[in-house]
Order: sequence, then structure tokens, then C-alpha cells
Amino acid sequence: MIPIVETKNLSRWYGNVLGLSDVSIQIEQGISGILGPNGAGKSTFLKLLTGQIKPNIGFVRIKGKKIWNNYALLSEIGFCPEQDAFYEEMTGWQFLTSLLKLYHFSKTEVETQAQKALEVVELTNDKDRVIRSYSRGMRQRIKFAQAIAHDPEILILDEPLNGLDPLARRKMIRLIKSYEKEGKTIIVSSHVLPEIEAMTNRVILIHQGKIFAEGDIHYIRDLIEDHPHIISVKCNRPRELASKFINEDYVLKVNFGLTQDSLLVETNNRDKFFSLLPSLLVEGKIEVEEITSPDDNLQAVFDYLVGK
Amino acid sequence: MGRRAKRTKVFYLISLLPVMMATLIKVTRVFSQRSDIDGLYIFSNMIVVFYLQFLILILSLFFGISVCAEELEGKTLTYLTTRPVSKSAIVLGKYAAYASLVILMTVVGLVFSFLILNANKLHRFYIYKTLLRDAVVLSLGLICYTAFFTFIGILLKRSIMFGLLFSFGWENVIQYFPGSTQRFSIVHYLKSLLPGQTGGRFSFLLFRLEPTSPALALFMLFLITGVFLASSCLLFSLREYIIED
Repeated sequence: MIPIVETKNLSRWYGNVLGLSDVSIQIEQGISGILGPNGAGKSTFLKLLTGQIKPNIGFVRIKGKKIWNNYALLSEIGFCPEQDAFYEEMTGWQFLTSLLKLYHFSKTEVETQAQKALEVVELTNDKDRVIRSYSRGMRQRIKFAQAIAHDPEILILDEPLNGLDPLARRKMIRLIKSYEKEGKTIIVSSHVLPEIEAMTNRVILIHQGKIFAEGDIHYIRDLIEDHPHIISVKCNRPRELASKFINEDYVLKVNFGLTQDSLLVETNNRDKFFSLLPSLLVEGKIEVEEITSPDDNLQAVFDYLVGK
Repeated sequence: MGRRAKRTKVFYLISLLPVMMATLIKVTRVFSQRSDIDGLYIFSNMIVVFYLQFLILILSLFFGISVCAEELEGKTLTYLTTRPVSKSAIVLGKYAAYASLVILMTVVGLVFSFLILNANKLHRFYIYKTLLRDAVVLSLGLICYTAFFTFIGILLKRSIMFGLLFSFGWENVIQYFPGSTQRFSIVHYLKSLLPGQTGGRFSFLLFRLEPTSPALALFMLFLITGVFLASSCLLFSLREYIIED
């Protein structure tokens, strides 16, 4: 069976800068998450998939056909770009209908499809407002609307949750998942692991232009769990708290902050650490001001995985 | 306000400058009770001095270059290049829209200034032939220059600077060169479609014109338009545009 999206040795440079290197993957129906820190090559990969840029080496095939300069194939793809750029003086309605006209729909079809897309993203009441007056969240939603308006089979979404508040984010995740149920192929990029985790189990980890890992989210989670974490506890008696942790075998290192009111604990088992912490605090009557994880981000995980 | 809408309004106001000039001239003439200068004569000078040497160049330059540049600057090109339309269709579609817009802007100002300057003989039908001919010549100029600047906008990064040098350097100088050199300017072919002016205050602007026959001038204008539009489509299709996020 022909995969929906197939890339082989896909590589792309911007002058001397590597954008993407030797990416060979196959993407099937359902949601696939492209996960990687900023500058990892996610947007380059998605631009190559949508035929906006040409690979230096390798190829991209969508449903078995090459995408570069294959305009007909673009009617099957909906692309939501990352950049917050619009025809600012257009209303939401004008924006959608103008783009739908490029699909050679009839006037009635254009209006029906635009109306439907606006309803999906809950912007019907604001459709006659100019885009420059939209909030960040509304702009993100109208951008998503233009990607789904022509009812494409393949949806390619570059950081679609950027700028959305938690409620809108949840709604958007639910919406993206609903397209999976309709049998569509969705490729969604993000630099936030929990966002991807909320949408799919299928993850492609991309770092420094290369596919670093590919597969089930649990595999990625396991990699992350093995990664030592630094936890900062700001409290009134950090040295006393340190003495209680020092005998635990999952605590690898203990340091004190410069201000003498914080403790930095490096652990390879966050779950055990966090299950013991409350009882130690209560037992020692230690007052806590703040608990943070300074390296709890994807970049730190990648740094650990690539052995930095 | 959106940059594009603001720019269109500014250029629309510029295109209405001849109407203000015509009104001013008419009012001055009424108050001074002078009737020695013919309205058609003033109008013809306006065509040569203001329209051919300035307005159609500036309108074509800014709108022609915008065909590609504004999509890149506004980072909106992605919305067009991810649709099932060829890149040539994008260029031709935007070119057609902008060429129509600049023609409309120019012709509106042209008609009003003509009517104001010739208010005393609007019942004489022969004067409308002049208006129609001038409107056609200016429209041809706009079509040709917009095609040229569309190509320049796609080819060069600093296209405005080049465009200004071309418009007010090359075009305004080369047309006065004797012999066949003047045929390397677009304005030469436009002037060849206008009747010769003798004795007018600004007749020096047509002084060195060694006109090409109207048929050849028309052919050359269409040829230049076709060549630059085809080159624009080809270049735009072959080039990659990387929009920074």
C-alpha cells in the first residue's frame, strides 16, 4: 500500500546552514506529531512536504506523487503556517472566501465552505471584522480555518496551538482529533511535548535537522524519564531538607543556590522524588516558597539524549 | 490601517492631482477673465508633463513591484503557494488586478481634469476623441510599465531603487537621444502614439522625438509587455521564496 506521505533521504540546506538532513520516513493515516525544539528543522520539513521549498537531495511523495510544482496535489492538502501573517485589511470572511476561490469552487460552494470553517473555529460572529482587529487566539483560529476550509484529506499544521489560551488549546486539540476520526492524515508540529502527547501516540522527534527518534510516545516518554532532572526547592531551611534527601539512591547530586534559600536536587526518578518530598516537608516543618524544574523542557531532554 | 490600503489611498490622491490642478487653472482663468489659452492645449501639456513623465511611471513602479514583494514582506505568500494554482497564475492574476487598478486610478483623474478644463465646450464631440486617445495611450503605458516593474520586483531585491533610477533616469533621459537610441525607452513608443505638438510651452518634451509608426509602436508595447510578463512567470515559478517564521 502506498503511504500517504513518504520522504527518502530528504535533505535541505540554506546556504551553509543545514535545515534538514537525510530524512526518510513514511507517514500513514491518523495524527503524527513532529516534535523538536525551536530551530530543529520542523518548519523546513513541513515546507518541503507542502512543496514550498525544493529538497537539495531526496524527494517527498504525497500519495505516491512528487509534490514540487505539482499544483493539483495541493487541493488535497491544507496547510496552517507558523507565521502570524495575514492580509490584515481583509475581514475573516473575505480572507476565507478569497482563498477558497483558488480551488475553483462555485460561488455557493465557496460561501458554504467558508461558513462551515468559521463555525468549526467559532468565528462566525466575528467574520465581518477585519483581521487586524482579531486577538492572537482568533488569528490562530482563522489561520486554522483557511487550512480546513476546502476539506482536505491531509492537514499539515505548523505549531497550531501557539498563542491559544488553555481553553482554546483544549478545543483545538479536540478539533484536530476529530479530523483523525474522519479518516484524515494530520501532521502537526510542536516544541511542547504535552501538546503532542494530548493529540497522538505517534511521534517523530526531530533535532538539528535529523530524525532523532520515531515511534510511540511511550518510547519517547521512557527516554525522557531516564533523563536526570534538576528540581529547585526554595524554602526556609534548605540544608536540613538536603540532609533528608542525601541517602536516597535516586538523588544524584545536591547543590545550594547562591541566595542560601534554595536547594537544587538532581534526580533520575522524578516520581519517587515528588512522592517523598511532601512528607519530608511536613515532618521537618519546612516552609516552601517555590518548587521549579529549570531543565524541564524539550531542549534539555534533547541535550541529554544527544549526550551534551 | 493596513499598509496596502494606505498605499492605495495615497496613490489615489496623487492620481487626483491633475483634477486639483485643472480646477485651479479653471478658477484662475475665470477670475482673470482670460480665454486666450485653450483647454485642450493645457490638457495635452498635462498629458506629456504630468502623466507620461511622472504619474504612470510612479503608479506602475509601486504597484508592479508589489505583485511579488508585498506577499514576501507581509509573509502571506504561503497562503497562495499552497493552493492548487500555478505560480504563473499567481503572477498573472495579481498583475491583472494591479494593472486594472492603476488604469482606473489614472483614467478617473484624467476624465475629470479633461471635463474641468474643457467645461465651455463639452457639447463639441470632437474633443472626446482627444480624451479617448490619451486614455488609451496612458493605459497602454500602464500595462507595459507594470509588466516591466513586475519583472524587476521578482528579479531584484532592491527593486524600488532600480525602478526609480529607471523611471526618472533612463526613461527621462534616453528619450531625448537622437537617432535610434531613444527606441530603447518605453516612453518613446507612447509618445509616438500621440500627435506631434508644435509651439506648445512644453513642446520641447517632444522636441527630439523621431516617432516610430503607430502600428510598430503598438506592436513594440505589446511585445515588451509579453516578454516581461513571460519572464516574470518563468522566474517566479523557478524561484524559491523562503518565508522566515
